[in-house]
Amino acid sequence: MQDPTPSRLSRPLRIFYLEDNPLIVFHVEQMVEDLGHIFVGSADSFTQLQDIFKDLEVDGVLVDIDLKDGPTGPQAAAWLKERGIDSVFVTGQEQVAAAHGNVSLATLGKPVLEAQLGEKLELFRT
Amino acid sequence: MTKNTASLFDHVLILAPYRRDAEYLAHLLGQYEVHCEIGSSTDDLSGLLANAPAVLMATHEALTPVVISSVAEHVRSQPDWSEIPIVVLLDRASNDGRVRTQLERAWPRSRLLFYRRPVTTVELLSGVQSALLARHRQRDVRDHIEREVELRRELNHRVKNILASVSSIFEMTRRNATSVEALADDFRGRLNALDKVHSAVFKAETDNISLEDVATITLEPYRSTMGHRIVFGGPPVMLMAETGTSLALCLHELATNASKYGALSAPGGSVSFVWSTTGGPLPELALEWQESGGPLVETPAQAGYGTRYVRAALGGILGTKPVFHFEPQGLRVTAEGPLSRISAAT
Repeated sequence: MQDPTPSRLSRPLRIFYLEDNPLIVFHVEQMVEDLGHIFVGSADSFTQLQDIFKDLEVDGVLVDIDLKDGPTGPQAAAWLKERGIDSVFVTGQEQVAAAHGNVSLATLGKPVLEAQLGEKLELFRT
Repeated sequence: MTKNTASLFDHVLILAPYRRDAEYLAHLLGQYEVHCEIGSSTDDLSGLLANAPAVLMATHEALTPVVISSVAEHVRSQPDWSEIPIVVLLDRASNDGRVRTQLERAWPRSRLLFYRRPVTTVELLSGVQSALLARHRQRDVRDHIEREVELRRELNHRVKNILASVSSIFEMTRRNATSVEALADDFRGRLNALDKVHSAVFKAETDNISLEDVATITLEPYRSTMGHRIVFGGPPVMLMAETGTSLALCLHELATNASKYGALSAPGGSVSFVWSTTGGPLPELALEWQESGGPLVETPAQAGYGTRYVRAALGGILGTKPVFHFEPQGLRVTAEGPLSRISAAT
């Protein structure tokens, strides 16, 4: 069998998800994997993200607005940006996300559809 | 002067420019513990009104056009729940009807009380006190409205969350379904589990639910037909509502799986679900689902919805992924993590 040249485009992305609803985490995790990427893990609050951040190796983070510790998603995205990590908001509150558009690459509405998720994840390739 | 101690809705603002009227009134009301602020000059009247007096008291001579329009501005800018009581002390010789008409027109949405001087202490005090009481009621209405706005926001958030959950359940069920009938059955079962745990949390009138209750309501349908074949128990553990919901859905998946393919699919099979906690400053919770007496277990080639959900949900709840032991004599699922992640303060 021929060994394909590793292509930049086909490299799987390492994705982390900041979301406090386990069902949605579960759903998105499956979609991320079905799209051929690696689901690194999830956290349910900004606080928890900060706790585990040092061990994180990711290409991008999906961020919900409302988390277990309040509407801390935008703060989390800004915090990640300071550390050179890109994020995409995944939320039903598109307006709130739009108001914080400077800290994330894009916004993905809920419910999440696989095709749209796939498109947004490609934004993490830098 | 009492100026610096005036705070929102707790004082009477007195406008009485002549002689020592204002001080006299403040002293009189002060004896009955009615807190007063004296507006000695009309220059900063809007500032004084911004302190939100509970009641405004004005003598006839205080009512210059400037004062009337300042108060009018204050009255106009009141929030919906507010209707400031204004006590007007009229002169002996003033034209009552005319002043009344003028002020009612200038200050709509105020509660005007008129007294003709000289007024007895008893009369004035009872008027002021009933005005203060009315003001307190208005403030209660304000608090009520604020609470309602807060509740509506919270409700909206929760409804959106539930819809997102249901949507995810549907999508994931659809992905794993082999037929429309299977899709319908699985989806119905999952919605049912979600519904029951929601009702249980609602009935408890708190945002908590005990682990025992989660197990009881979720495993109840199986126990009613299979009785002692399902046992569960452990020490009291209170869970936050969301954690309880996730756990209920996990138990639902495990129980459904057991009744379709596992220990509960065979006549003699049984399931035990037990949990335990450790002591110390950082107590841990351990969960164990153990099946026995069912058909011989083989490690599945591919994980289905149930396994994947339990893995993701318990992993999210406890911080560590659960372990599925596909032991030939029966499936065993174990999970553990810090109690602080899941438990509600009891």
